[in-house]
Amino acid sequence: MTRAHPLLVRCGFWLLAMGLVLALWQAVVMIAHVPPYIVPTPVETIAELIRHAGQSGALLWQTFSETIAGYLLGAAIGIVLAVAMSEIRLFGRLAYPALVTSQAIPIVGIAAPLVIVFGFGMTPKLIIVAWIVFFPVVVNVMDGLARVDPDQINLARLLGGSAWRTFLIVRLPACLGPLFSGLKIGASYAVTGAVIGEWTASSKMGLGTYLLSANAQMNTVGVYGAMMLMTLIGVGSFSALVGLEYMATPWTHRSTAPRWLTRLRGAPRSDHKE
Amino acid sequence: MPHAPKLAICNVRHAFGANRVLDDVSLDIAPGEFVCILGASGCGKSTLFNAVSGLLRIDSGAITLDGTDIMGKPGYVGYMLQKDLLLPWRTALDNIVLGAALTRGVTREDRAQAADLARRYGLGEYLDHYPGAMSGGMRQRIALMRTIAAGRELMLLDEPFGALDSQTRLAMQKWLLEIWSGLKRTVLFVTHDIDEAFFLADRVVVMLPRPGRIARILHVDLPRPRDIACMASPAFMALKAEALSLLYGGPDPSASMSGAA
Ligand SMILES: Nc1ncnc2c1ncn2[C@@H]1O[C@H](COP(=O)(O)OP(=O)(O)OP(=O)(O)O)[C@@H](O)[C@H]1O
Ligand SMILES: [Mg+2]
Repeated sequence: MTRAHPLLVRCGFWLLAMGLVLALWQAVVMIAHVPPYIVPTPVETIAELIRHAGQSGALLWQTFSETIAGYLLGAAIGIVLAVAMSEIRLFGRLAYPALVTSQAIPIVGIAAPLVIVFGFGMTPKLIIVAWIVFFPVVVNVMDGLARVDPDQINLARLLGGSAWRTFLIVRLPACLGPLFSGLKIGASYAVTGAVIGEWTASSKMGLGTYLLSANAQMNTVGVYGAMMLMTLIGVGSFSALVGLEYMATPWTHRSTAPRWLTRLRGAPRSDHKE
Repeated sequence: MPHAPKLAICNVRHAFGANRVLDDVSLDIAPGEFVCILGASGCGKSTLFNAVSGLLRIDSGAITLDGTDIMGKPGYVGYMLQKDLLLPWRTALDNIVLGAALTRGVTREDRAQAADLARRYGLGEYLDHYPGAMSGGMRQRIALMRTIAAGRELMLLDEPFGALDSQTRLAMQKWLLEIWSGLKRTVLFVTHDIDEAFFLADRVVVMLPRPGRIARILHVDLPRPRDIACMASPAFMALKAEALSLLYGGPDPSASMSGAA
């Protein structure tokens, strides 16, 4: 018997969990006879999204691209900052309070001045998303770097390792776990950032702007549709990261290196028992 | 001693707080010599190795390798720590070539040599295994191969065979002797196992605890290459008796018939 791939199993549980939530939602609305202008059923909402597939797609794409661009920017800044702050102690000590303060400012409070400086358009939205995303990444990666086994660092010193190679070969892989934790937390916050960005700085119609206008028009199905699509972006990026982490850390779930990896590096393969 | 020593440890003292772990330890190791350090747990063997490897800054004393001061300067001697410290994200093969990876980059030839080494000593089927999927004994062997592949002339091995069953242990001991005589390396080897110490070494340094110090240095004048049979020889027995009485007290060792100094 072949076992199902563990990622597939996880995927199955996700779909099952979401299916259950939708089913519960459908059941509650039907049993309690909630009128559709108060809470529509998921079936109606999805049907409405499909009926206006063109518009839904465009909105989804707009918000998705803001989210992903801001996310990548924030994650990159987060990683670079974490490394710099860990390597340069004085910088780390000075920058840490500033980082924490940056997150204490309510995000809506940042949005307005950003619009004043950058005007309407993509830039303020990117900055807002990146602002939210970089923080969990910095904190997790810094913690990860601080917790690398000192004996592993000593081993690298004994083998004459240069600082740069020791970083790449020992310290970086050692903090991949925390890095991915930070990236996953960031992914679930990113959409919120994009939506707040749209509310204050939008020139183009995205899910956030659409949600506001649907709400103003008492278009409840539209509000729920937008909400569903936002959730889709969040869950989608989170799952993508789970997949990426799975691929990037084969030693956590495999006993041997994946064949493509050994082949790629031209490493001799293990002998095999006949 | 005819040669200048490979390694000279002079009057080394070190204390952790009030705990005097190394108390005036002096020891010269000749080039190509195999020296075992024997002593009860906690008598400072690993601390001595940490000092020689440069990881630990000692309170006082001097340590030189080929006449140059190596105190507090890691990288000059090969050191297999008591923990195997394999990197979980690297395969067995990649752990063996870690020294090259950390200094100049791994070449195809490094990998081929490492694979040969692993194949010859029973790990050919595990080249692309991650350490998490290997037994303690396999991990120890990989760690030893990593130390050998790093190519230092002096190797400090801290209980390298502690996790092995007696059969594998014997095979590994023979292998280590082959490597040592073939590559003309100098070896300092820590063990708890008295048989192991006398089977391997030219000299056995017996250490005593509290404070950690050298009790006596025993010369092992058994012919090489040695096999298991030599462990039953009278000379071997006499050495063993002397070490036992040093370690556990008992009959005055000078009354026994050993030829040791
Ligand atoms: N970093 C440290 N800080 C404080 N005390 C230490 C430290 N390292 C070792 N010691 C103490 O020094 C003494 C000697 O330790 P060491 O590890 O050298 O013993 P050992 O001879 O290698 O023992 P074993 O055979 O169990 O490995 C012990 O009493 C230990 O508690
Ligand atoms: Mg020890």
